[in-house]
Amino acid sequence: MRPPGRTPLLALHGLSKRYGGVHALRGANLTIARPGLVHGLLGENGSGKSTMLGVLSGQHQPDEGRVELEGRALSFHSPSDALRHGIAMVAQEAAIAPELTVTENILMGRGLARSRFLIDWSSSREKACRVLELLDLDYDPDWLVRDLRPDQRQMVEIARAISTNARVVILDEPTSSLDAGEVNALFAVIESLKAQDVTVLFVSHRLNEIFAVCDSLTILRDGKTIVEGPVDTFDADSIVRAMVGGDTDRRVTRGPQPATDCAPALELRHLHSTGRLTDISLSVRPGEIVGLCGLVGSGRSELLECIFGVRDVTAGGISVCGSARHGSGPHGAIRSGIALVPPDRKEQGLVLSGSVRTNLMSVATAERNRLRRPIKKEEDPIIAELCTSMRVRLHDYEAPVGNLSGGNQQKVVLAKWLARRPKVLLLDEPTRGVDVRAKVEIHRLVRSIAAEGVAVLVSSSEAPELLDLCDRIIVMSQGRSVAVVEAADASEETLMRLASAPDLEAPSSNKEEWSQST
Amino acid sequence: MNGALSSNPRPGRSHVGRIWHSGRHLLPVLTLLILIFTVFAITNPVFLSRGNLQVLLTSNAQLWVVAVGMTFVMLAGAVDLSVGAIMAFLAIMFGKLLNAGVSGGLALTITIAAGALLGGGVNGVLIGRVGLSFLLVTLASLTAFTGLVNLWSDTMAIPVQASITDSIAFGNFLGVNISLWIMGVTFILALLLQSRTYFGRDVYAVGGNRQAARLAGINTERTIVFVFALTGIAAALAAIIGIGRSGAASPTIDNNVPLEAIAAVLLGGTRINGGSGGVGGTALGVLFLATLGNGLSLSDISSYWQQIVTGVILVSAVLFNRLSADGGLKRWLEHRRGRHADSDATPVSGT
Repeated sequence: MRPPGRTPLLALHGLSKRYGGVHALRGANLTIARPGLVHGLLGENGSGKSTMLGVLSGQHQPDEGRVELEGRALSFHSPSDALRHGIAMVAQEAAIAPELTVTENILMGRGLARSRFLIDWSSSREKACRVLELLDLDYDPDWLVRDLRPDQRQMVEIARAISTNARVVILDEPTSSLDAGEVNALFAVIESLKAQDVTVLFVSHRLNEIFAVCDSLTILRDGKTIVEGPVDTFDADSIVRAMVGGDTDRRVTRGPQPATDCAPALELRHLHSTGRLTDISLSVRPGEIVGLCGLVGSGRSELLECIFGVRDVTAGGISVCGSARHGSGPHGAIRSGIALVPPDRKEQGLVLSGSVRTNLMSVATAERNRLRRPIKKEEDPIIAELCTSMRVRLHDYEAPVGNLSGGNQQKVVLAKWLARRPKVLLLDEPTRGVDVRAKVEIHRLVRSIAAEGVAVLVSSSEAPELLDLCDRIIVMSQGRSVAVVEAADASEETLMRLASAPDLEAPSSNKEEWSQST
Repeated sequence: MNGALSSNPRPGRSHVGRIWHSGRHLLPVLTLLILIFTVFAITNPVFLSRGNLQVLLTSNAQLWVVAVGMTFVMLAGAVDLSVGAIMAFLAIMFGKLLNAGVSGGLALTITIAAGALLGGGVNGVLIGRVGLSFLLVTLASLTAFTGLVNLWSDTMAIPVQASITDSIAFGNFLGVNISLWIMGVTFILALLLQSRTYFGRDVYAVGGNRQAARLAGINTERTIVFVFALTGIAAALAAIIGIGRSGAASPTIDNNVPLEAIAAVLLGGTRINGGSGGVGGTALGVLFLATLGNGLSLSDISSYWQQIVTGVILVSAVLFNRLSADGGLKRWLEHRRGRHADSDATPVSGT
């Protein structure tokens, strides 16, 4: 790929990185030919993008492979190493101090000008202004970052990156929390970065943005680089195909469809949650698996949180099997028969230091008298039964659940809910960070749970997962439900287009309009 | 789920193996305890005498009781700095009640109930339900109760003459000192609460991962209120034992009590962030501190040495536990080795 006779500006060769049993990267490459390019990095979730960015910005050390800047091999042990070599990362979640001024945020670290002992505020301010000018931004350096919009905060972060004289700026999904106007402002800043010969590594899921700003592309899949090249050698279809892989027919035949005439197990009526969700109505019948598809920030997780009672619902109703959901908080949701498998099993799903036994029994016994004694002899057969149906092999019920593999941990999260026999099962990223085999098994389990009459609502950032698993898929964007498709009629391409289409005014636009607009 | 029970028998390691596994965190403190016990027993003929051993235990009855209560707070991931002040407050309350002619048993009950109420209702509610930081809340109540104690008592000790306090300090039951009975019963009740109730499981879950516990439907707010009520009860018992020993309700706030109790809990292998450990270790931690103090004072070594040794051992014991937990020590060694291997293999030729 590299142009003959020239050393590329930045090259990553054969990067490999393993986390426990999971290969995040297996020999991935990336080449940026010369300074002043905007290079797109694409891949589905789990393809290794974040790990690659982590290596480049010094947060992770690769197991194998190397990073070369202008032909010199570098090894970073920390983000400040990377910064010293001119590589700065603007993280997906703003890493910015809201109570400080724009000047302080831009020059945070070593940038503030000093007179002998104290900070020289007037020359610091000038310094910050110069950086803002480079980006054509007319911000007052004394503004508090707290008062800025999300896109303006992002600009301040970019300004910080170039104030360190960064030559490569990494933007990790910078547009995920921006609206259309804000995205244009960001693109203007990217243009001015190009004009300064700064190289931008741009990560986005939205294809139209990739075509709008990128000069060249790298596409990752399963930790490997699938294809690299100038952007004009690609079109939307070839990008999606490269990301998804040739085997688009991964679908497993599903059992008989659930009856369409029975009452819904879960029903949402005009649900609102301030700032996050607008007018969501949906229903899931017993035995049905419904998917929620959408980009980061589209409101998928927030919707599940509202149903489970961990996020406030400002208007609208939730009912389970015809009666309104109990009280507030997860406690009420659980009593109504709702179960939630949260996206982050380490932070939310499991007490890692707790034993397999206490984790598995926690939900089923949450309402017992707290001074009663848990009787292990009664629990053992329940645990054994759960383990058999989950196909988890355990040596010791008393061992900390943190010692299990990622896939088995995820099965424990699922199993602890089954011990209580829920009516509605909410799954948020049910197979994040588990290996392929465990993924297949978890899918099988979810199907068999549905087959027993449980209504399942799955949120996933992986379109193939939803296509595999679901009967219907609801596409969300910016807190609204924008389309409902039958999984049998959908493909990854249509889902991706629906979810990543630029935001139009009318939320009721139908499917045809969406696909035309891409 | 398939209805048939699994034929899979309960998997497990040998009995000895399981005890070893669950008691691993006790190893450092147990070793140290045996070590210093042996050293003092050999070097000092008085040390092993019945009288000395009884003093060794009874003079640490307050620390024992407070540390057992503190274990629950710490298992749940918090710390209670206010026990010393609450202890003094309850001591004054108990003294005033007795001097006002309230019967011993009633005064005892009221004081213990007040302890539970103050610990749970003030610290517990502010931390568990309102969601304030435990450091902030217990520091604030430490300060506030210090002021209250001094106002209420006019900074004067209240002499107490009552049969109940005398018998707690000096009485015997079945030939064993009453304060030893209190220590033993407290310990056994705590052990039952910790490992034989759902409450005990909740405490470990809340300390291990409060968010996950909440999402599993566990009432984490109530759990936190209860653990602070337990330190309140412990403070009440400790206050009463203290009055018995000195014959007066003293308004002097001993802020060493919570700190020593925390040290004992940590020595006993309870993680500072909560979620693992337990009262068994705490008992060993208190015994270690007690033996060290007693042995050094018998040998006429300044008690300041005790503090220095305690500090050093505290850090070493916690470090050892951190490294040995989940094979951390092994991983750390491998990591060091791996680093060396990496630096040897860096120059790899390109593809």
